[in-house]
Amino acid sequence: MVKVGDRLLGYATDPDVRSRGASGGLVTAVLAAALEKGLVEGVVVLKRMDEYEAIPVITDDVQEVLASGGSMHAVPVNLAKHAVGRKIAMPGKPCDVRGVIEQAKRNGVDLESTYIVGLNCGGTMHPVVTREMLVRMYEIDPEDVSGEEIEKGKLIFRTKDGEEKAIPIDDLEEAGYGRRENCRYCTVKIPTSADLACGNWGVIGELAGNATFCEVMNEKGKRLLDNAIEAGFVDVRPADEKAIAIREKVNSAMLSLGSEWKEKVFTEMPDQERLSYYMEQFADCIHCGACKEVCPVCTCGEDSKCTMFHSLADNYRMSMYHMVRLLHLSDSCIGCGQCSDVCPVDIPVTSIFRRFADPAQKKRNYEPGMDLTRPPFLEVMLK
Amino acid sequence: MTDKEWEPKIVAFCCNWCSYGGADTAGMGRFQQPSSLRIIRVMCSGRIDPMHVLNAFLEGADAVLVTGCHIGDCHYVNGNYKAEVRYRFLEEMVRELGLEPERLQLNWISASEGEKFANFVRDVTAQIRQLGPSPLKPEGVN
Ligand SMILES: Cc1cc2nc3c(=O)[nH]c(=O)nc-3n(C[C@H](O)[C@H](O)[C@H](O)COP(=O)(O)OP(=O)(O)OC[C@H]3O[C@@H](n4cnc5c(N)ncnc54)[C@H](O)[C@@H]3O)c2cc1C
Ligand code: SF4
Ligand code: SF4
Ligand code: SF4
Ligand code: FES
Repeated sequence: MVKVGDRLLGYATDPDVRSRGASGGLVTAVLAAALEKGLVEGVVVLKRMDEYEAIPVITDDVQEVLASGGSMHAVPVNLAKHAVGRKIAMPGKPCDVRGVIEQAKRNGVDLESTYIVGLNCGGTMHPVVTREMLVRMYEIDPEDVSGEEIEKGKLIFRTKDGEEKAIPIDDLEEAGYGRRENCRYCTVKIPTSADLACGNWGVIGELAGNATFCEVMNEKGKRLLDNAIEAGFVDVRPADEKAIAIREKVNSAMLSLGSEWKEKVFTEMPDQERLSYYMEQFADCIHCGACKEVCPVCTCGEDSKCTMFHSLADNYRMSMYHMVRLLHLSDSCIGCGQCSDVCPVDIPVTSIFRRFADPAQKKRNYEPGMDLTRPPFLEVMLK
Repeated sequence: MTDKEWEPKIVAFCCNWCSYGGADTAGMGRFQQPSSLRIIRVMCSGRIDPMHVLNAFLEGADAVLVTGCHIGDCHYVNGNYKAEVRYRFLEEMVRELGLEPERLQLNWISASEGEKFANFVRDVTAQIRQLGPSPLKPEGVN
Protein backbone atom coordinates (compact mmCIF):
# COMPACT_ATOMS: atom_id res chain seq x y z
CA MET A 1 0.00 0.00 0.00
CA VAL A 2 1.30 3.43 -0.90
CA LYS A 3 0.79 6.59 1.13
CA VAL A 4 -0.22 10.11 0.20
CA GLY A 5 3.00 12.06 -0.29
CA ASP A 6 4.99 9.02 -1.46
CA ARG A 7 7.46 9.65 -4.24
CA LEU A 8 8.06 6.52 -6.23
CA LEU A 9 9.68 5.13 -9.32
CA GLY A 10 7.49 2.68 -11.18
CA TYR A 11 6.74 1.00 -14.44
CA ALA A 12 4.21 -1.22 -16.16
CA THR A 13 4.69 -4.94 -15.51
CA ASP A 14 3.65 -5.77 -19.05
CA PRO A 15 6.85 -5.44 -21.15
CA ASP A 16 4.95 -4.21 -24.23
CA VAL A 17 3.23 -1.47 -22.28
CA ARG A 18 6.50 -0.60 -20.60
CA SER A 19 8.41 -0.23 -23.82
CA ARG A 20 5.66 1.64 -25.64
CA GLY A 21 5.30 4.04 -22.72
CA ALA A 22 7.10 7.37 -22.70
CA SER A 23 9.14 6.42 -19.64
CA GLY A 24 7.99 3.05 -18.35
CA GLY A 25 4.29 2.92 -19.13
CA LEU A 26 3.20 3.48 -15.53
CA VAL A 27 0.58 6.02 -16.56
CA THR A 28 -0.96 3.75 -19.16
CA ALA A 29 -1.01 0.83 -16.73
CA VAL A 30 -2.60 2.87 -13.94
CA LEU A 31 -5.34 4.14 -16.29
CA ALA A 32 -5.98 0.64 -17.66
CA ALA A 33 -6.18 -0.86 -14.15
CA ALA A 34 -8.71 1.77 -13.08
CA LEU A 35 -10.93 0.74 -15.97
CA GLU A 36 -10.31 -3.00 -15.54
CA LYS A 37 -11.25 -2.91 -11.85
CA GLY A 38 -14.30 -0.69 -12.30
CA LEU A 39 -12.98 2.43 -10.57
CA VAL A 40 -14.19 4.33 -13.64
CA GLU A 41 -16.43 3.75 -16.65
CA GLY A 42 -14.08 5.16 -19.26
CA VAL A 43 -10.60 6.48 -19.92
CA VAL A 44 -9.54 9.42 -22.05
CA VAL A 45 -7.02 8.19 -24.62
CA LEU A 46 -5.40 9.91 -27.55
CA LYS A 47 -6.42 8.31 -30.81
CA ARG A 48 -3.55 8.66 -33.24
CA MET A 49 -4.26 10.28 -36.59
CA ASP A 50 -0.65 9.84 -37.62
CA GLU A 51 2.67 9.57 -35.82
CA TYR A 52 2.47 12.95 -34.17
CA GLU A 53 -1.14 14.05 -34.29
CA ALA A 54 -4.04 12.68 -32.25
CA ILE A 55 -7.51 13.43 -31.02
CA PRO A 56 -8.84 12.62 -27.55
CA VAL A 57 -11.59 10.01 -27.28
CA ILE A 58 -13.15 8.19 -24.35
CA THR A 59 -12.92 4.43 -24.39
CA ASP A 60 -14.23 1.63 -22.18
CA ASP A 61 -11.93 -0.92 -23.81
CA VAL A 62 -8.97 -1.89 -21.59
CA GLN A 63 -6.95 -3.06 -24.60
CA GLU A 64 -7.33 0.31 -26.27
CA VAL A 65 -6.05 1.98 -23.11
CA LEU A 66 -3.09 -0.39 -22.91
CA ALA A 67 -2.18 0.50 -26.49
CA SER A 68 -2.32 4.25 -25.84
CA GLY A 69 1.08 4.85 -24.24
CA GLY A 70 3.67 7.36 -25.30
CA SER A 71 3.90 11.15 -25.07
CA MET A 72 2.73 13.16 -28.02
CA HIS A 73 4.31 16.59 -28.08
CA ALA A 74 2.37 17.97 -31.04
CA VAL A 75 -1.01 17.36 -29.42
CA PRO A 76 -1.81 20.55 -27.51
CA VAL A 77 -5.55 19.88 -27.29
CA ASN A 78 -6.93 20.32 -23.79
CA LEU A 79 -8.61 17.30 -22.22
CA ALA A 80 -10.44 19.00 -19.33
CA LYS A 81 -13.85 19.21 -20.96
CA HIS A 82 -13.90 15.45 -21.51
CA ALA A 83 -14.32 15.05 -17.78
CA VAL A 84 -17.55 17.06 -17.69
CA GLY A 85 -20.45 14.87 -16.59
CA ARG A 86 -18.53 11.60 -16.76
CA LYS A 87 -17.00 9.01 -14.50
CA ILE A 88 -13.60 8.69 -16.06
CA ALA A 89 -9.87 8.50 -15.52
CA MET A 90 -7.64 10.66 -17.66
CA PRO A 91 -4.03 11.56 -18.19
CA GLY A 92 -3.36 15.28 -18.05
CA LYS A 93 -0.72 17.88 -18.64
CA PRO A 94 -0.79 20.60 -15.96
CA CYS A 95 -3.15 22.68 -18.13
CA ASP A 96 -5.54 19.72 -18.51
CA VAL A 97 -5.50 19.15 -14.76
CA ARG A 98 -5.99 22.81 -13.96
CA GLY A 99 -8.90 22.96 -16.38
CA VAL A 100 -10.58 20.06 -14.59
CA ILE A 101 -10.08 21.70 -11.20
CA GLU A 102 -11.56 25.01 -12.35
CA GLN A 103 -14.50 23.12 -13.89
CA ALA A 104 -14.99 21.33 -10.58
CA LYS A 105 -15.06 24.62 -8.68
CA ARG A 106 -17.94 25.66 -10.92
CA ASN A 107 -19.74 22.35 -10.54
CA GLY A 108 -18.94 21.25 -14.10
CA VAL A 109 -16.97 18.19 -13.03
CA ASP A 110 -17.53 15.89 -10.09
CA LEU A 111 -14.03 15.32 -8.77
CA GLU A 112 -15.14 12.35 -6.65
CA SER A 113 -15.70 10.34 -9.82
CA THR A 114 -12.87 11.81 -11.91
CA TYR A 115 -9.36 10.42 -11.60
CA ILE A 116 -6.50 12.46 -13.00
CA VAL A 117 -3.04 11.11 -13.67
CA GLY A 118 -0.96 14.24 -14.12
CA LEU A 119 2.02 14.43 -16.46
CA ASN A 120 4.90 16.84 -16.02
CA CYS A 121 5.00 19.10 -19.02
CA GLY A 122 7.74 21.04 -20.72
CA GLY A 123 5.40 22.18 -23.48
CA THR A 124 3.49 21.17 -26.58
CA MET A 125 3.66 22.20 -30.22
CA HIS A 126 0.94 23.26 -32.60
CA PRO A 127 0.41 20.45 -35.15
CA VAL A 128 0.27 22.81 -38.14
CA VAL A 129 3.46 24.57 -37.04
CA THR A 130 5.04 21.15 -36.50
CA ARG A 131 4.33 20.14 -40.09
CA GLU A 132 5.88 23.33 -41.39
CA MET A 133 8.85 22.83 -39.07
CA LEU A 134 9.36 19.29 -40.37
CA VAL A 135 9.62 20.58 -43.91
CA ARG A 136 11.70 23.70 -43.23
CA MET A 137 13.97 22.67 -40.37
CA TYR A 138 14.16 18.89 -40.57
CA GLU A 139 13.73 18.57 -44.32
CA ILE A 140 11.47 15.62 -43.67
CA ASP A 141 8.16 14.98 -45.40
CA PRO A 142 5.58 15.05 -42.55
CA GLU A 143 4.04 11.89 -43.98
CA ASP A 144 7.34 10.01 -43.56
CA VAL A 145 7.52 10.50 -39.77
CA SER A 146 7.35 7.31 -37.75
CA GLY A 147 7.97 8.68 -34.29
CA GLU A 148 8.97 11.69 -32.19
CA GLU A 149 10.79 12.10 -28.91
CA ILE A 150 12.42 14.73 -26.69
CA GLU A 151 15.82 13.94 -25.24
CA LYS A 152 18.34 16.22 -23.56
CA GLY A 153 16.76 19.41 -24.90
CA LYS A 154 16.57 18.08 -28.44
CA LEU A 155 13.49 17.24 -30.45
CA ILE A 156 14.05 14.05 -32.40
CA PHE A 157 12.02 12.84 -35.37
CA ARG A 158 12.38 9.33 -36.81
CA THR A 159 11.38 8.50 -40.35
CA LYS A 160 9.87 5.33 -41.73
CA ASP A 161 13.18 4.32 -43.32
CA GLY A 162 14.90 4.39 -39.95
CA GLU A 163 16.64 7.77 -40.16
CA GLU A 164 16.76 10.06 -37.12
CA LYS A 165 17.20 13.79 -36.97
CA ALA A 166 17.66 15.80 -33.76
CA ILE A 167 17.58 19.59 -33.42
CA PRO A 168 17.98 21.52 -30.14
CA ILE A 169 14.63 22.98 -29.08
CA ASP A 170 16.30 26.36 -28.48
CA ASP A 171 17.33 26.51 -32.14
CA LEU A 172 13.82 25.56 -33.24
CA GLU A 173 12.31 28.30 -31.09
CA GLU A 174 14.86 30.79 -32.30
CA ALA A 175 13.52 30.10 -35.79
CA GLY A 176 9.91 30.55 -34.66
CA TYR A 177 9.06 26.87 -34.29
CA GLY A 178 9.06 24.56 -31.30
CA ARG A 179 6.70 24.97 -28.37
CA ARG A 180 3.64 27.16 -28.50
CA GLU A 181 4.24 30.62 -27.11
CA ASN A 182 2.07 30.06 -24.01
CA CYS A 183 3.98 26.87 -23.13
CA ARG A 184 7.22 28.81 -23.06
CA TYR A 185 5.96 30.95 -20.19
CA CYS A 186 3.67 28.35 -18.57
CA THR A 187 3.91 28.50 -14.78
CA VAL A 188 3.13 24.92 -13.79
CA LYS A 189 5.43 22.12 -14.88
CA ILE A 190 4.55 19.48 -12.27
CA PRO A 191 0.79 19.00 -11.90
CA THR A 192 0.56 18.89 -8.13
CA SER A 193 -3.21 19.39 -8.19
CA ALA A 194 -3.68 16.06 -10.01
CA ASP A 195 -4.20 12.80 -8.09
CA LEU A 196 -0.83 11.47 -9.22
CA ALA A 197 2.00 13.59 -10.61
CA CYS A 198 4.09 11.60 -13.10
CA GLY A 199 7.08 12.37 -15.24
CA ASN A 200 10.57 11.39 -16.21
CA TRP A 201 12.45 14.10 -14.35
CA GLY A 202 14.49 12.40 -11.64
CA VAL A 203 14.66 9.01 -13.36
CA ILE A 204 18.35 8.31 -13.85
CA GLY A 205 20.83 5.47 -14.33
CA GLU A 206 19.63 2.16 -15.64
CA LEU A 207 16.00 3.11 -15.10
CA ALA A 208 16.23 6.20 -17.32
CA GLY A 209 13.72 5.86 -20.13
CA ASN A 210 11.94 2.90 -18.65
CA ALA A 211 10.58 4.06 -15.32
CA THR A 212 8.24 6.85 -14.33
CA PHE A 213 8.67 9.16 -11.34
CA CYS A 214 5.32 9.28 -9.58
CA GLU A 215 4.18 11.39 -6.63
CA VAL A 216 0.99 10.46 -4.80
CA MET A 217 -0.83 13.76 -4.34
CA ASN A 218 -4.00 12.75 -2.50
CA GLU A 219 -6.31 9.92 -1.39
CA LYS A 220 -7.61 9.40 -4.91
CA GLY A 221 -4.06 9.07 -6.17
CA LYS A 222 -3.41 6.46 -3.51
CA ARG A 223 -6.55 4.61 -4.57
CA LEU A 224 -5.47 4.70 -8.22
CA LEU A 225 -1.98 3.43 -7.55
CA ASP A 226 -2.95 0.80 -4.95
CA ASN A 227 -5.53 -0.46 -7.42
CA ALA A 228 -2.94 -0.78 -10.18
CA ILE A 229 -0.45 -2.50 -7.90
CA GLU A 230 -3.07 -4.96 -6.58
CA ALA A 231 -4.21 -5.71 -10.11
CA GLY A 232 -0.58 -6.56 -10.95
CA PHE A 233 -0.37 -3.85 -13.60
CA VAL A 234 2.52 -1.87 -12.09
CA ASP A 235 5.59 -2.22 -9.90
CA VAL A 236 6.86 0.64 -7.76
CA ARG A 237 9.76 1.36 -5.44
CA PRO A 238 10.60 4.44 -3.40
CA ALA A 239 12.54 7.13 -5.24
CA ASP A 240 15.86 7.97 -3.58
CA GLU A 241 16.98 11.40 -2.39
CA LYS A 242 18.99 11.98 -5.51
CA ALA A 243 16.04 11.34 -7.83
CA ILE A 244 13.84 13.68 -5.78
CA ALA A 245 16.49 16.40 -5.80
CA ILE A 246 17.04 16.18 -9.56
CA ARG A 247 13.33 16.46 -10.25
CA GLU A 248 13.14 19.56 -8.08
CA LYS A 249 16.18 21.08 -9.70
CA VAL A 250 14.98 20.59 -13.27
CA ASN A 251 11.58 21.93 -12.30
CA SER A 252 12.96 25.16 -10.91
CA ALA A 253 15.30 25.58 -13.86
CA MET A 254 12.35 25.20 -16.23
CA LEU A 255 10.27 27.67 -14.23
CA SER A 256 12.96 30.33 -14.30
CA LEU A 257 13.40 29.88 -18.06
CA GLY A 258 9.63 30.31 -18.20
CA SER A 259 9.72 33.64 -16.40
CA GLU A 260 12.40 34.89 -18.79
CA TRP A 261 10.11 34.03 -21.68
CA LYS A 262 7.27 35.78 -19.93
CA GLU A 263 9.21 39.01 -19.86
CA LYS A 264 10.05 38.68 -23.51
CA VAL A 265 6.46 38.04 -24.57
CA PHE A 266 4.72 40.59 -22.37
CA THR A 267 6.53 43.80 -23.17
CA GLU A 268 5.25 46.94 -21.49
CA MET A 269 2.95 49.07 -23.61
CA PRO A 270 1.81 52.63 -22.81
CA ASP A 271 -1.93 53.08 -22.20
CA GLN A 272 -2.86 54.59 -25.56
CA GLU A 273 -0.87 52.02 -27.46
CA ARG A 274 -2.49 49.16 -25.53
CA LEU A 275 -5.96 50.29 -26.37
CA SER A 276 -5.20 50.57 -30.07
CA TYR A 277 -3.40 47.23 -29.98
CA TYR A 278 -6.45 45.49 -28.50
CA MET A 279 -8.78 47.27 -30.90
CA GLU A 280 -6.67 46.32 -33.90
CA GLN A 281 -6.31 42.69 -32.87
CA PHE A 282 -9.98 42.15 -32.09
CA ALA A 283 -11.02 44.00 -35.25
CA ASP A 284 -10.09 40.86 -37.18
CA CYS A 285 -12.38 38.64 -35.10
CA ILE A 286 -15.09 36.92 -37.14
CA HIS A 287 -16.92 35.83 -33.98
CA CYS A 288 -16.87 32.19 -34.89
CA GLY A 289 -16.89 31.30 -31.18
CA ALA A 290 -14.14 28.71 -31.54
CA CYS A 291 -12.07 30.26 -28.76
CA LYS A 292 -14.91 29.93 -26.25
CA GLU A 293 -15.74 26.43 -27.48
CA VAL A 294 -12.26 25.11 -26.63
CA CYS A 295 -11.64 27.07 -23.44
CA PRO A 296 -11.20 24.53 -20.64
CA VAL A 297 -12.24 26.89 -17.87
CA CYS A 298 -15.45 28.21 -19.45
CA THR A 299 -18.34 26.31 -17.90
CA CYS A 300 -21.23 27.69 -19.93
CA GLY A 301 -21.25 24.79 -22.38
CA GLU A 302 -24.22 24.84 -24.73
CA ASP A 303 -25.92 27.55 -22.69
CA SER A 304 -23.27 30.11 -23.52
CA LYS A 305 -24.57 33.39 -24.89
CA CYS A 306 -21.42 35.44 -25.25
CA THR A 307 -21.32 35.15 -29.05
CA MET A 308 -24.82 36.65 -29.14
CA PHE A 309 -23.43 39.86 -27.70
CA HIS A 310 -21.90 40.50 -31.05
CA SER A 311 -23.85 42.10 -33.84
CA LEU A 312 -22.21 43.67 -36.89
CA ALA A 313 -24.97 46.27 -36.86
CA ASP A 314 -23.63 47.63 -33.58
CA ASN A 315 -20.53 49.04 -35.21
CA TYR A 316 -18.63 48.85 -31.89
CA ARG A 317 -14.96 49.74 -31.77
CA MET A 318 -14.19 46.61 -29.85
CA SER A 319 -15.84 43.22 -29.73
CA MET A 320 -18.43 42.97 -26.94
CA TYR A 321 -18.01 39.22 -27.15
CA HIS A 322 -14.39 39.52 -26.05
CA MET A 323 -15.28 42.05 -23.37
CA VAL A 324 -17.66 39.48 -21.89
CA ARG A 325 -15.12 36.70 -22.12
CA LEU A 326 -12.45 38.87 -20.52
CA LEU A 327 -14.81 39.57 -17.64
CA HIS A 328 -15.74 35.95 -17.24
CA LEU A 329 -12.31 34.39 -17.59
CA SER A 330 -9.79 36.76 -16.10
CA ASP A 331 -10.13 35.00 -12.77
CA SER A 332 -9.76 31.47 -14.12
CA CYS A 333 -7.69 31.65 -17.33
CA ILE A 334 -4.81 29.20 -17.06
CA GLY A 335 -3.03 30.26 -20.22
CA CYS A 336 -3.47 26.91 -21.89
CA GLY A 337 -3.25 28.43 -25.37
CA GLN A 338 -6.29 26.68 -26.82
CA CYS A 339 -7.93 29.93 -27.88
CA SER A 340 -4.95 31.06 -29.93
CA ASP A 341 -4.48 27.57 -31.34
CA VAL A 342 -7.92 27.46 -32.91
CA CYS A 343 -8.39 31.07 -34.00
CA PRO A 344 -8.92 31.02 -37.77
CA VAL A 345 -7.66 34.59 -38.16
CA ASP A 346 -4.60 34.19 -35.94
CA ILE A 347 -5.53 36.65 -33.22
CA PRO A 348 -3.10 36.13 -30.29
CA VAL A 349 -6.10 35.52 -28.02
CA THR A 350 -4.13 33.77 -25.29
CA SER A 351 -1.55 36.47 -24.76
CA ILE A 352 -4.27 39.14 -24.79
CA PHE A 353 -6.26 37.21 -22.18
CA ARG A 354 -3.14 36.72 -20.09
CA ARG A 355 -2.49 40.47 -20.13
CA PHE A 356 -5.76 40.88 -18.23
CA ALA A 357 -5.71 37.70 -16.19
CA ASP A 358 -2.15 37.80 -14.95
CA PRO A 359 -2.32 41.00 -12.89
CA ALA A 360 -5.82 40.19 -11.59
CA GLN A 361 -4.75 36.74 -10.42
CA LYS A 362 -1.48 37.95 -9.00
CA LYS A 363 -3.16 40.70 -7.04
CA ARG A 364 -5.46 38.20 -5.37
CA ASN A 365 -2.72 35.64 -5.02
CA TYR A 366 -4.92 33.16 -6.87
CA GLU A 367 -3.41 30.55 -9.15
CA PRO A 368 -6.30 28.91 -10.99
CA GLY A 369 -6.46 25.14 -11.07
CA MET A 370 -4.00 24.61 -8.25
CA ASP A 371 -5.78 24.85 -4.93
CA LEU A 372 -9.10 23.10 -4.51
CA THR A 373 -9.82 24.72 -1.20
CA ARG A 374 -9.97 28.17 -2.78
CA PRO A 375 -13.20 29.09 -4.57
CA PRO A 376 -13.07 31.38 -7.64
CA PHE A 377 -11.85 34.72 -6.36
CA LEU A 378 -14.93 36.80 -7.07
CA GLU A 379 -16.98 34.29 -5.13
CA VAL A 380 -14.76 34.48 -2.04
CA MET A 381 -14.98 38.19 -1.88
CA LEU A 382 -18.73 38.21 -2.31
CA LYS A 383 -19.30 36.19 0.85
CA MET B 1 -18.79 71.98 -33.76
CA THR B 2 -15.74 73.30 -31.93
CA ASP B 3 -14.05 71.53 -29.01
CA LYS B 4 -15.41 74.08 -26.60
CA GLU B 5 -18.98 73.19 -27.35
CA TRP B 6 -18.45 69.50 -27.12
CA GLU B 7 -20.58 68.03 -24.36
CA PRO B 8 -19.52 64.59 -23.07
CA LYS B 9 -22.04 61.81 -22.60
CA ILE B 10 -21.97 60.45 -19.09
CA VAL B 11 -23.90 57.36 -18.11
CA ALA B 12 -24.70 57.00 -14.42
CA PHE B 13 -26.04 53.79 -12.96
CA CYS B 14 -28.14 54.75 -9.94
CA CYS B 15 -29.84 52.54 -7.42
CA ASN B 16 -33.54 53.09 -6.84
CA TRP B 17 -33.30 53.79 -3.11
CA CYS B 18 -30.32 56.07 -2.68
CA SER B 19 -28.38 57.55 -5.56
CA TYR B 20 -31.44 57.85 -7.81
CA GLY B 21 -33.07 59.68 -4.94
CA GLY B 22 -29.93 61.79 -4.75
CA ALA B 23 -30.31 62.72 -8.41
CA ASP B 24 -33.95 63.56 -7.76
CA THR B 25 -33.06 65.74 -4.80
CA ALA B 26 -30.46 67.49 -6.93
CA GLY B 27 -33.20 68.31 -9.42
CA MET B 28 -35.67 69.46 -6.81
CA GLY B 29 -33.01 71.58 -5.11
CA ARG B 30 -32.45 73.23 -8.51
CA PHE B 31 -28.73 72.60 -8.47
CA GLN B 32 -27.33 73.47 -11.85
CA GLN B 33 -26.69 70.20 -13.71
CA PRO B 34 -24.84 69.67 -16.96
CA SER B 35 -26.82 68.18 -19.82
CA SER B 36 -24.22 65.48 -20.17
CA LEU B 37 -25.91 63.00 -17.84
CA ARG B 38 -27.87 59.87 -18.80
CA ILE B 39 -29.22 58.01 -15.79
CA ILE B 40 -29.93 54.30 -15.80
CA ARG B 41 -31.96 53.32 -12.78
CA VAL B 42 -31.47 49.87 -11.26
CA MET B 43 -33.11 48.56 -8.11
CA CYS B 44 -29.76 48.14 -6.38
CA SER B 45 -26.14 48.78 -7.30
CA GLY B 46 -25.68 45.03 -6.83
CA ARG B 47 -27.58 44.63 -10.09
CA ILE B 48 -24.88 46.40 -12.09
CA ASP B 49 -23.03 43.81 -14.10
CA PRO B 50 -19.57 44.95 -15.24
CA MET B 51 -20.85 43.96 -18.66
CA HIS B 52 -23.39 46.82 -18.53
CA VAL B 53 -20.58 49.25 -17.92
CA LEU B 54 -18.42 47.99 -20.77
CA ASN B 55 -21.43 48.01 -23.06
CA ALA B 56 -22.11 51.63 -22.15
CA PHE B 57 -18.57 52.48 -23.29
CA LEU B 58 -19.03 50.59 -26.53
CA GLU B 59 -22.31 52.42 -27.11
CA GLY B 60 -20.49 55.71 -26.85
CA ALA B 61 -20.39 56.79 -23.20
CA ASP B 62 -17.46 59.08 -22.47
CA ALA B 63 -17.62 58.17 -18.80
CA VAL B 64 -19.60 55.72 -16.68
CA LEU B 65 -20.53 56.30 -13.06
CA VAL B 66 -21.39 53.50 -10.71
CA THR B 67 -23.38 54.77 -7.76
CA GLY B 68 -25.45 53.39 -4.90
CA CYS B 69 -26.26 53.66 -1.20
CA HIS B 70 -23.49 54.20 1.32
CA ILE B 71 -21.88 50.96 2.51
CA GLY B 72 -24.11 49.62 5.30
CA ASP B 73 -27.20 51.37 3.91
CA CYS B 74 -28.02 49.08 0.97
CA HIS B 75 -31.72 48.20 0.99
CA TYR B 76 -30.86 44.65 0.01
CA VAL B 77 -28.34 44.12 2.81
CA ASN B 78 -25.05 43.96 0.89
CA GLY B 79 -25.74 44.73 -2.77
CA ASN B 80 -23.40 47.69 -2.76
CA TYR B 81 -20.64 45.60 -1.21
CA LYS B 82 -20.99 43.19 -4.14
CA ALA B 83 -21.05 46.13 -6.51
CA GLU B 84 -17.79 47.40 -5.06
CA VAL B 85 -16.06 44.03 -5.39
CA ARG B 86 -17.08 43.83 -9.02
CA TYR B 87 -16.19 47.46 -9.53
CA ARG B 88 -12.62 46.96 -8.31
CA PHE B 89 -12.23 44.08 -10.72
CA LEU B 90 -13.75 46.08 -13.56
CA GLU B 91 -11.57 49.05 -12.73
CA GLU B 92 -8.46 46.90 -13.24
CA MET B 93 -9.82 45.71 -16.56
CA VAL B 94 -10.55 49.20 -17.78
CA ARG B 95 -7.01 50.25 -16.80
CA GLU B 96 -5.53 47.32 -18.68
CA LEU B 97 -7.62 48.21 -21.71
CA GLY B 98 -5.89 51.55 -21.67
CA LEU B 99 -8.91 53.78 -21.06
CA GLU B 100 -8.23 56.83 -18.89
CA PRO B 101 -9.11 56.12 -15.22
CA GLU B 102 -11.32 59.25 -15.03
CA ARG B 103 -13.80 57.57 -17.37
CA LEU B 104 -14.97 55.11 -14.76
CA GLN B 105 -15.89 56.30 -11.27
CA LEU B 106 -17.66 55.03 -8.20
CA ASN B 107 -19.53 57.06 -5.60
CA TRP B 108 -21.95 56.32 -2.77
CA ILE B 109 -24.70 58.92 -2.57
CA SER B 110 -27.75 58.91 -0.30
CA ALA B 111 -31.21 60.15 -1.32
CA SER B 112 -30.72 63.36 0.64
CA GLU B 113 -27.34 64.20 -0.86
CA GLY B 114 -28.61 66.12 -3.85
CA GLU B 115 -25.76 68.58 -3.80
CA LYS B 116 -23.18 65.82 -3.62
CA PHE B 117 -24.75 64.19 -6.64
CA ALA B 118 -24.79 67.42 -8.63
CA ASN B 119 -21.18 68.23 -7.70
CA PHE B 120 -20.03 64.75 -8.60
CA VAL B 121 -21.57 64.93 -12.06
CA ARG B 122 -20.24 68.42 -12.60
CA ASP B 123 -16.70 67.40 -11.59
CA VAL B 124 -16.69 64.37 -13.81
CA THR B 125 -18.06 66.37 -16.72
CA ALA B 126 -15.24 68.88 -16.32
CA GLN B 127 -12.63 66.11 -16.22
CA ILE B 128 -14.05 64.47 -19.32
CA ARG B 129 -14.24 67.75 -21.23
CA GLN B 130 -10.49 67.95 -20.70
CA LEU B 131 -9.97 64.40 -21.94
CA GLY B 132 -12.21 64.66 -24.99
CA PRO B 133 -14.36 61.92 -26.50
CA SER B 134 -13.76 58.32 -25.49
CA PRO B 135 -11.58 56.38 -27.91
CA LEU B 136 -14.20 53.62 -27.77
CA LYS B 137 -16.99 55.83 -29.05
CA PRO B 138 -18.39 54.37 -32.28
CA GLU B 139 -18.16 56.33 -35.48
CA GLY B 140 -21.14 58.60 -36.03
CA VAL B 141 -22.10 58.78 -32.33
CA ASN B 142 -21.73 62.12 -30.59
C1 LIG C 1 3.51 17.03 -24.06
C2 LIG C 1 4.21 16.36 -22.94
C3 LIG C 1 5.36 16.96 -22.41
C4 LIG C 1 6.02 16.35 -21.35
N1 LIG C 1 7.12 16.98 -20.82
C5 LIG C 1 7.72 16.41 -19.74
C6 LIG C 1 8.81 17.03 -19.12
O1 LIG C 1 9.27 18.08 -19.56
N2 LIG C 1 9.35 16.46 -18.02
C7 LIG C 1 8.88 15.27 -17.50
O2 LIG C 1 9.37 14.80 -16.49
N3 LIG C 1 7.85 14.67 -18.08
C8 LIG C 1 7.27 15.18 -19.18
N4 LIG C 1 6.20 14.57 -19.75
C9 LIG C 1 5.73 13.33 -19.16
C10 LIG C 1 6.48 12.13 -19.71
O3 LIG C 1 6.69 12.28 -21.09
C11 LIG C 1 5.64 10.88 -19.52
O4 LIG C 1 4.33 11.07 -19.97
C12 LIG C 1 5.59 10.50 -18.08
O5 LIG C 1 6.89 10.30 -17.61
C13 LIG C 1 4.78 9.22 -17.90
O6 LIG C 1 5.44 8.21 -18.59
P1 LIG C 1 4.71 6.83 -18.78
O7 LIG C 1 5.61 5.95 -19.59
O8 LIG C 1 4.27 6.35 -17.47
O9 LIG C 1 3.48 7.29 -19.64
P2 LIG C 1 2.71 6.44 -20.73
O10 LIG C 1 2.37 5.12 -20.19
O11 LIG C 1 3.46 6.54 -22.00
O12 LIG C 1 1.35 7.25 -20.84
C14 LIG C 1 1.34 8.50 -21.41
C15 LIG C 1 -0.03 9.04 -21.25
O13 LIG C 1 0.02 10.39 -21.69
C16 LIG C 1 -1.06 10.64 -22.55
N5 LIG C 1 -0.61 11.70 -23.46
C17 LIG C 1 0.29 11.61 -24.46
N6 LIG C 1 0.42 12.79 -25.08
C18 LIG C 1 -0.40 13.65 -24.45
C19 LIG C 1 -0.71 15.01 -24.64
N7 LIG C 1 -0.12 15.73 -25.59
N8 LIG C 1 -1.63 15.58 -23.85
C20 LIG C 1 -2.24 14.85 -22.87
N9 LIG C 1 -1.97 13.56 -22.64
C21 LIG C 1 -1.06 12.96 -23.43
C22 LIG C 1 -1.33 9.34 -23.23
O14 LIG C 1 -2.68 9.28 -23.67
C23 LIG C 1 -1.07 8.35 -22.10
O15 LIG C 1 -2.19 8.19 -21.31
C24 LIG C 1 5.54 15.13 -20.83
C25 LIG C 1 4.41 14.54 -21.38
C26 LIG C 1 3.74 15.14 -22.42
C27 LIG C 1 2.52 14.49 -22.99
S1 SF4 D 1 0.27 25.21 -21.27
FE1 SF4 D 1 1.78 24.40 -19.81
S2 SF4 D 1 0.94 22.44 -19.19
FE2 SF4 D 1 -0.17 23.03 -21.05
S3 SF4 D 1 0.95 22.06 -22.74
FE3 SF4 D 1 1.84 24.10 -22.46
S4 SF4 D 1 3.58 23.82 -21.03
FE4 SF4 D 1 2.29 22.01 -20.94
S1 SF4 E 1 -8.92 32.01 -22.23
FE1 SF4 E 1 -7.62 30.87 -23.69
S2 SF4 E 1 -5.67 30.54 -22.58
FE2 SF4 E 1 -7.20 31.15 -21.03
S3 SF4 E 1 -7.98 29.18 -20.26
FE3 SF4 E 1 -9.38 29.83 -21.94
S4 SF4 E 1 -8.57 28.85 -23.81
FE4 SF4 E 1 -6.96 28.74 -22.21
S1 SF4 F 1 -11.46 32.01 -32.52
FE1 SF4 F 1 -10.64 33.97 -33.30
S2 SF4 F 1 -12.14 34.63 -34.87
FE2 SF4 F 1 -13.15 33.01 -33.67
S3 SF4 F 1 -14.27 34.15 -32.09
FE3 SF4 F 1 -12.27 33.62 -31.19
S4 SF4 F 1 -10.94 35.40 -31.59
FE4 SF4 F 1 -12.76 35.59 -32.94
S1 FES G 1 -30.23 49.47 -2.70
FE1 FES G 1 -28.83 51.09 -3.06
S2 FES G 1 -27.00 49.92 -3.27
FE2 FES G 1 -28.40 48.33 -2.80
